[in-house]
Amino acid sequence: MNKTSNRVKAFFSKPANVILVVFALLLVLLTLYPLCELVHHTFIVHATDATVLPGLKKGELTTASWKKLLTTSTHKYSWINFYKPMVNSVVLATLSALFALVFGGAVAWLVTRSNLKAKKFISTVFIFPYIMPSWTLALFWLNMFKNPGVGTGSPGFVYSITGLCAPEWFVYGLLPMVIVSGLHYAPFAYIFIGGILRNMDANLEEAATILKTPRWRILLKITLPIVKPAILSTFLLAFASVMGSYAVPVYLGSPVNFYVLTTKMKTLQTTAIGQAYIIALFMVILGALIMMANSLLTGTRKSYTTVTGKSSQISLVDLKAGNYVITGLLCMVLFFVCIMPLFSFALESIIIKAGDYSLSNMTLNYWFGSAGSVSTTVGDTGIMRDPAIWSAIGTSLKLSLCCALIAGSCGVVIGYAVVRRRGSKLSQWVSGLSFFPYLIPAMAFGAIYLAIASNFSFLANSFLILVLVGTVKYLPFATKSGTNAMLQLSAEIEEAATIFGISWWKRMTKIIIPIQKASIISGFLLPFTSCMRELSLFVMLVSSRTQTLTTMLMTYNEKGASQYGNAINLLIIVLVLAINFGVNKLTGASIDKGVGGN
Amino acid sequence: MPEIILKNVKKVFGNQFVAVDNLNMVIEDRSFITLLGPSGCGKTTTLRMIAGLETPTEGQIFIDGVPVYDGEKGINLPPDKRDVGFLFQNYALWPHMTVYKNISFGLENLKWSKKEIDDRVNELLDMLKIRQFVDRYPSELSGGQQQRVAIARTLAPKPKVLFMDEPLSNLDAKLRGEMRTELKRLHVDTNSTFIYVTHDQLEAMTLSTRVCLMETGVLQQFAPPLEIYQKPENLFVADFMGNPTMNFLSARVMGKIKEGLMLDLHGKTVRFTGEEVSCAQGADVILGVRPEYIAITDKGRIQASVYTTLPTGMETTVRIMMSGELISAVVFGSVDYPVDQEIRIDFVGDNIVLFDKETTKRIGLGRLVVEG
Repeated sequence: MNKTSNRVKAFFSKPANVILVVFALLLVLLTLYPLCELVHHTFIVHATDATVLPGLKKGELTTASWKKLLTTSTHKYSWINFYKPMVNSVVLATLSALFALVFGGAVAWLVTRSNLKAKKFISTVFIFPYIMPSWTLALFWLNMFKNPGVGTGSPGFVYSITGLCAPEWFVYGLLPMVIVSGLHYAPFAYIFIGGILRNMDANLEEAATILKTPRWRILLKITLPIVKPAILSTFLLAFASVMGSYAVPVYLGSPVNFYVLTTKMKTLQTTAIGQAYIIALFMVILGALIMMANSLLTGTRKSYTTVTGKSSQISLVDLKAGNYVITGLLCMVLFFVCIMPLFSFALESIIIKAGDYSLSNMTLNYWFGSAGSVSTTVGDTGIMRDPAIWSAIGTSLKLSLCCALIAGSCGVVIGYAVVRRRGSKLSQWVSGLSFFPYLIPAMAFGAIYLAIASNFSFLANSFLILVLVGTVKYLPFATKSGTNAMLQLSAEIEEAATIFGISWWKRMTKIIIPIQKASIISGFLLPFTSCMRELSLFVMLVSSRTQTLTTMLMTYNEKGASQYGNAINLLIIVLVLAINFGVNKLTGASIDKGVGGN
Repeated sequence: MPEIILKNVKKVFGNQFVAVDNLNMVIEDRSFITLLGPSGCGKTTTLRMIAGLETPTEGQIFIDGVPVYDGEKGINLPPDKRDVGFLFQNYALWPHMTVYKNISFGLENLKWSKKEIDDRVNELLDMLKIRQFVDRYPSELSGGQQQRVAIARTLAPKPKVLFMDEPLSNLDAKLRGEMRTELKRLHVDTNSTFIYVTHDQLEAMTLSTRVCLMETGVLQQFAPPLEIYQKPENLFVADFMGNPTMNFLSARVMGKIKEGLMLDLHGKTVRFTGEEVSCAQGADVILGVRPEYIAITDKGRIQASVYTTLPTGMETTVRIMMSGELISAVVFGSVDYPVDQEIRIDFVGDNIVLFDKETTKRIGLGRLVVEG
């Protein structure tokens, strides 16, 4: 008995153990409990369900929602509402992830292993799409290609200038969605694969060169196998992200009835919420499967990713004549996807009648006009004079700041504890749990918390629930960068201070955090940026009092006020880019540092 | 005075890996103890357990009569309450602090006054000859300079016991020699107890007052370095200490004589005389002969041939083929023998060790005479 209590005392005398135990409990509460609630809610009859499930009263326990969604053949109900969206989701996610991987990976290789020109420009601009909201490119695509022949019929830029009508399959549906999602997640592949290529010991490739191995064979037999774990996890993470994305499908898919799980879930939420929860549950299961696949496929070979060495003297592949062609092409593509959208949004936000780009059709009234200066379906003042917009800006900033501070601090502390107790069961459990929210699609995550909020009245429609959901959802980013930062720091640096009797708090604030300042601030920046541009996570949880800029944008676009929509979009992008740039210049922190690049 | 006592200390990592097993040791005040052994033998773990950076699984540790760890009573003092200093292998200097700050930071925490801190830092800057680097950051210093700063930082609070974990292994050979000299001098000047971890037997020989030789978590021998060299407890100790390593020759006991044994060594009869010899007839034994106890002389009674010669300038190691076994001899000065030259050798010296082949324990120490 005495021995046990001694052991417990010894265990809790180490700060790392206390942190792990606290977070193990907290994470169970914040991730596993919601999951149980979600399952529970799929068996409950809700107010909205009662209308579609005749004969059942609100609050009853039933499997009717399951039966209805999965096994109704009348009017192909199950096919239209579940199986088809499921297939669409998987096809979309697979193709987008592949596209992101090939494009991002190719650019990563070109930048690290060839004598490509304009590397600085390319590597800076290439991660823009990831910093910008995911729907940026989708809206840009619509601004460019929409025409009277498809969708709502309003004319876009290309039609107005050239009179060419792009066919419907080109404007809406799978193809543009794959391109847009792929481009959005390509920076992901670029950062991960580029990071490994940069850290990889060049001697490995040089050894093969000495043995007279041709270049293509080195790439195929040495380089690719070594970055394979990174390729696999990038693919799976991009896959999971696309599965959970809502904005791109809603802009490019829904107008032509191309539904995926997320958009279907949002539709069902208002008519039959029980069925929406079932879809959410399936998305969680898919996420968990992906996580298992990831650890199964890369688990044993993870050690490759830490290969380091003197990679400074790497011999670059000479692209010869192709150099200028490839550089030119790449810069053009990047200009088109990274810089053009900003111009497009600016332009579309100041024209009065869609499709007319003459100077007489332009006005800044959508931005700064006083009451009555413009007429739209949602208002008649410029957005900068609209108190609702200012309140949304305030909410967005406040929310992002809260989430970043909480998630970032937790990330640092969890990273510290996980690294210090590396290898122990508890540490594995906590790092696994903290990664879990990443794989639950944002939309499903929102749905889960919606289910919980109905149990606790103080959470429903509150700002607090937005902070909670944002913090938990972005904890994986923060934990990953916190862990990375701690891994780079030898334990002895801290022990040297322990010997002098310096308290844990002082060790963290005077030694560990100052040394890893840049990485740690990156861990704050990532949740902040993600939160600023997040839509799917919050769209189900906001109330009229807690509208964020992104949900505001959604409302305006749904109501057809495209000038407002474009203006708000530009506002979000400029805010996010400005804050990222500012923090980067001030502290040296950057997004790519946060996710493991350098 | 700080005497360190370890009683039945055991450390188990995870559930099965025993890093240190049943370790008993008394470290006297102001001694310079070396924990020596091959990598993975538990020496660093032992050091970290005494310092309080690692918690033992069971046992007791006393510093200066105070129990700092007791598995039964649940005592486990944190490192800062043990009045110790620790010098890390990679120095662990704080990269965001200047040399001055690195040295003063720990003192500020011990609530020393500004004046006291400044005096002490200045004293150490002079003592370790690093005054000119006072405002530099660790990344702006060479390895040797960083090492000095690390030593200054460790010595700053005047710890009674100083722990060092392979502090010289990151330095080049020349610098390592210089630092060795200074560490030994520092031990006398600071008047404190040093506990030093190394895998380099030469370092252990030259520096310490006592060597603790370990293998796979078990203490093999704890004795002054020369005693370990001359009277190794077992084959492992004999093999680990000394360079070139001791020669091991298999032999068989033919019979007992007064104060010794008659042995059969590759068909030759040899007489082993010395103290504490005890062995049964017909038993297999191993003769441990240091290279300096093998003489190459025309009067030698054993026929052998030169395999190769390794001159270092001051002395020459001659590798000799004797009845199909390769042995080493050391000759003073530079001598070069042609390869395969026929030579005659003999055994000299009083410290030839006899081991039991089965238990690998030392069973005798004495002289060896070739009878014919």
